Amino acid sequence: MKARSPARPRKSGCLFVLPYVVLLGAIGIYPAGYVVYMALTSLSAHFTGLSNFIDATHNAEFVPAFENIIKFLGIWLTTLVVFVVGLSLMLHSLHGRVGAAFRFVLYLPAALAGSASVMLWLFMLQPGKSPWGFVLSWLGYHSLGDSLAPAHLPVIFALIAFWSGAGSWIVVMHGALATIPDEVLESARLDGAGAWRTAVHIKLPLIKKWIAYMVIGAFAAGSQLFAEPQLISEATGGLANQAWSPNQLAIFLAFHYDYFNYAAAISVDLLVVAVICAAVILLRTGLFDVGH
Amino acid sequence: MLSFAARRTWTGQVVMYVLLAVFAAFFALPIIWLVFEAIGVHLAPIAHNLGLWLFNSTLYSAAGAAIALATGIPAGYAIATHEFPGRRVLLILTMLVMLIPTSALVLPLFLEANEVHQLTSPFALIVPYGLYPFGVYLSYLYFHTERFHVLLQTARTDGCNEWQVFRHIALPLAKPVAALIVFLNIVASWTNFFLPWVMYWSTDTTNRYPLPLGIALQLFGGETSGEYLGVVQLHTTSPPSAIAFLLLATLAPVVVVLVLARRWIGSGQFQSVFR
Repeated sequence: MKARSPARPRKSGCLFVLPYVVLLGAIGIYPAGYVVYMALTSLSAHFTGLSNFIDATHNAEFVPAFENIIKFLGIWLTTLVVFVVGLSLMLHSLHGRVGAAFRFVLYLPAALAGSASVMLWLFMLQPGKSPWGFVLSWLGYHSLGDSLAPAHLPVIFALIAFWSGAGSWIVVMHGALATIPDEVLESARLDGAGAWRTAVHIKLPLIKKWIAYMVIGAFAAGSQLFAEPQLISEATGGLANQAWSPNQLAIFLAFHYDYFNYAAAISVDLLVVAVICAAVILLRTGLFDVGH
Repeated sequence: MLSFAARRTWTGQVVMYVLLAVFAAFFALPIIWLVFEAIGVHLAPIAHNLGLWLFNSTLYSAAGAAIALATGIPAGYAIATHEFPGRRVLLILTMLVMLIPTSALVLPLFLEANEVHQLTSPFALIVPYGLYPFGVYLSYLYFHTERFHVLLQTARTDGCNEWQVFRHIALPLAKPVAALIVFLNIVASWTNFFLPWVMYWSTDTTNRYPLPLGIALQLFGGETSGEYLGVVQLHTTSPPSAIAFLLLATLAPVVVVLVLARRWIGSGQFQSVFR
């Protein structure tokens, strides 16, 4: 239903987009350009090429921070793909009202994203307070320190991110599944395909693009992890490293040492990852209407 | 006796409902726990701060959403219905920025706010919340239909100027997409922790905190006990019941906005794709 009208005035078009263009420039383009400039210069504003990028990698926390984030991403993306796709397909086979009620319950934690979910999960992981105390004691955890042992952190962060983030993706998948025409599902049923075969052989291939979008989008968002490790570090008096994730490391260098140029270099590293992911989604999944 | 196929379907159904029940418990139990924990809370010690943070959060989110609407609806409308230089570049740039996680721009925005001496100003939050490229894209999709173009041409033929067309035809029809933009934008700003943290945290301006920073403060003030790993226990500035109440106060407005937005977004094709 795309249209192209013959007469489309130019001047008024510019006026309508002007406030947005100013905002996009001031809040999107300018800061991105400024951080690149800072990453390429020294404190005294001399051009230093890539030396900030190279020096930042020599920081003792640099490699561990990226190792941590990769472990987290591996766990998080796997759980997202398996459970979000699985749950979405199951909910799609339910009747309208029941499915909608389930989606509402699964979406609700999104309202507590960020620091609220971390706070809540600290209680959930505190033996003696948690409604899942029996699970914690079965695992042999007797204190918050046991639950939050450094080796557990990637799993814990993935758990919190999944709890508050999965619902939104399930809503997106629901939107994708809703675009499958009824005739397709009806003919599958007439051909004798059961619920399982319909889900795996008909629905799954039709939402493949959306799954790709979720994986790349979640990778980009997950690589920015900040709130979870930061708050858990503060809650446990530094048990979790203050520079656990790359974003934390950048902030740590900027706030504690005034190493703004190194911080900018790490920020640019992360921004490049985000831009590449966005470009891949835009150009490869074909989900977005890029005009014509 | 059930046939093999019927028995298999039946087992499949049971497995599915058990799995769904387990996941529903996983998602809902922490929130149910909050409700029970908050019963009988003594609000006096945190009432002042809670009111303040709730007010700040509401102000930042509402002002951000107002800017997102005022800039996003006309921009999406113009990209969909007008021809102007740089139209396609603007559309692609908008989609690129909308797909970049907002947290990727937090440190850059901090450096910018620092440079223009706006670090602890409410504008350091409100203006970034107002940039909402996804809203522009939604508005573009909404107005980019054959039916709407025909309507516009009719209005122009009848002698409406461009402003009148926008004001009297497009705006009244934009209600569903406006509701969607407001809802998505508010949920994003309401739960944002990273941006307010870099703008306000180090400066100790607790009276300007939004709720997410107020929640974080509950962890910061209390010394967590335990000399070594094995005995670390959670200690918070306020008692757990007060924190549970604080979290419910964070949750409740989003549910209200969700219910209101669903009514405004209405039904139809648009809703089924984006809800």
